[in-house]
Amino acid sequence: MDTNVIFSKKFNYITYVLMALGAIGLVYGFLTDTHRTWANLLLNNYYFLSLAIGAAFFFSLQYITQSGWSAMFRRIPEALMAYIPYAAVIMLVMFFGLHDIYHWSHPDLVAGDELLAHKAPYLNVPFFMIRIVIFFGAWILLTRYLRKLSLQEDSLGGIEMFEKMEFWSKVFIFVLALTFSMASFDWIMSIDAHWFSTIFAFKNFGAAFYHGTSLIALIAIVLHKKGYFKDMNEYHLLDFSRYMFGLSIIWGYLYFAQFALIWFGNIPEETIYYAKRWDNGWKIFFYLNFAINWFIPFIVLLPQKFDKNINIVYGICIMLLLGLYTDIYEQVMPDFLKSPSIGIIEIGVFAGLAGLFLFAFGKALAKVPLIAKNHPYLEESIHHHLH
Amino acid sequence: MSATHIIGVFDSKHDLLTGIEGVKAKNFVIDEIYTPYPVMEAIDALKRKSHFTKAAFLYGFAAVIGVLSFLYYTSVIDWPINYGGKPTNAFPSFIIITLVLTILTVTILSLFTFSIRARIFPGKKYFLPDERATDDKFIILFDKNNAGGGFEAISGVLKANGASEVYEKEF
Repeated sequence: MDTNVIFSKKFNYITYVLMALGAIGLVYGFLTDTHRTWANLLLNNYYFLSLAIGAAFFFSLQYITQSGWSAMFRRIPEALMAYIPYAAVIMLVMFFGLHDIYHWSHPDLVAGDELLAHKAPYLNVPFFMIRIVIFFGAWILLTRYLRKLSLQEDSLGGIEMFEKMEFWSKVFIFVLALTFSMASFDWIMSIDAHWFSTIFAFKNFGAAFYHGTSLIALIAIVLHKKGYFKDMNEYHLLDFSRYMFGLSIIWGYLYFAQFALIWFGNIPEETIYYAKRWDNGWKIFFYLNFAINWFIPFIVLLPQKFDKNINIVYGICIMLLLGLYTDIYEQVMPDFLKSPSIGIIEIGVFAGLAGLFLFAFGKALAKVPLIAKNHPYLEESIHHHLH
Repeated sequence: MSATHIIGVFDSKHDLLTGIEGVKAKNFVIDEIYTPYPVMEAIDALKRKSHFTKAAFLYGFAAVIGVLSFLYYTSVIDWPINYGGKPTNAFPSFIIITLVLTILTVTILSLFTFSIRARIFPGKKYFLPDERATDDKFIILFDKNNAGGGFEAISGVLKANGASEVYEKEF
């Protein structure tokens, strides 16, 4: 039970190779197309940050609901949270690309634009950077503290840490609700500064939770296949699938709700957002998103037999990781590309940040025993059985 | 239609489950189990499989098709109206109505299916072998004719596995 995950040398090499690919992609990108490169950096950083935040939310939710079944897996979201500081650094570096991404960051454009001038007290460069520092400061402090408590529990035992974590998890999701909402407004929605959607934050937060959970399930399955998590049975899988199934409906609902109201209202200020995302071949992403993130998981995870089948859940999890990418790609890229295309920059930057993400995750996961041994619900988790 | 039944009374869910295990080990046939609240292990033990979810899925599927075709008929074929230049087949706005009506259809049809399958209808007299099953006791019911053993044998097994009381009753 005290075993640590041992990553093979190959895994480390792969992360380095991916990061090197990312560096090549970035250099190539800045030499050829700076707009597109900054946009890709934002897209991919937000992608992996979403996964980390979603995992952190899943983690704190298990404490708030006092869930027993997931006690065994909590080191996975803990390790996924390790990416947040890296995301902070990249987001701060984005300062140099603000002018390439956000047109509200050009004072001369704002001056001639009544709406942007009206939004300027909120959308201006200094306050934007201050907000980045506040958001990441809060996330890093809280996730670090939760991680510290979790590690303390390993050595001290008892129920005191659990209660403390439950309290701080509540604080964390409250802070997350405010900060992640504003973060998605700031980073993604303000790319189209004239357009706004009040459901936007909830939609993107739902996506983060949804795909973060599927990443946790994916890692649990991979580790199980590698011989870790020997006690993992079909009922754990069933619980993971139920999470994904339920969240797929929430994702579909939110995605559709935003679209349906704008389609029905038919106000030019709002429809321009979807007009941009339907012309020039972008429309395929609109349907692809529905298919990958809602329709296929919904239909496939409907029968319990499939929920308990490790290979089917494995496939769905991998598909959902692609789904989050297409979701964010559709939100970010239409402002920078005429028609959808995946080039060297896209692949390079994605590979680079994926390498960084895996590197941070692997380091944090391998450092401590895989199963937190003094968790009060650990026995319940190991003997998990449902009907 | 009266037949003699053997009734085993248990005080807790845990006792009930050991009782079921004991009875199954001796290959006696359980007729029915009555519990104060749903006990999934008991349903598993009776080996009763429900196709209810499949029926509900079919109802939902039929409802989606039905509602969408109804909306298509009313707003495209029978009485097309131009609302602010929208296409008459305003599919995205149909979805919301479809969702709501699908839920309604599935609920009502499931209710009827359940009533028919369980033979429950308004004004039906309730049947309860031991009234304490609605309070705090767990009841295993055997039909004496096809339980696969006599009163002595079954009673012995139940008592040995934690039954607080075993008796015979005719109804």
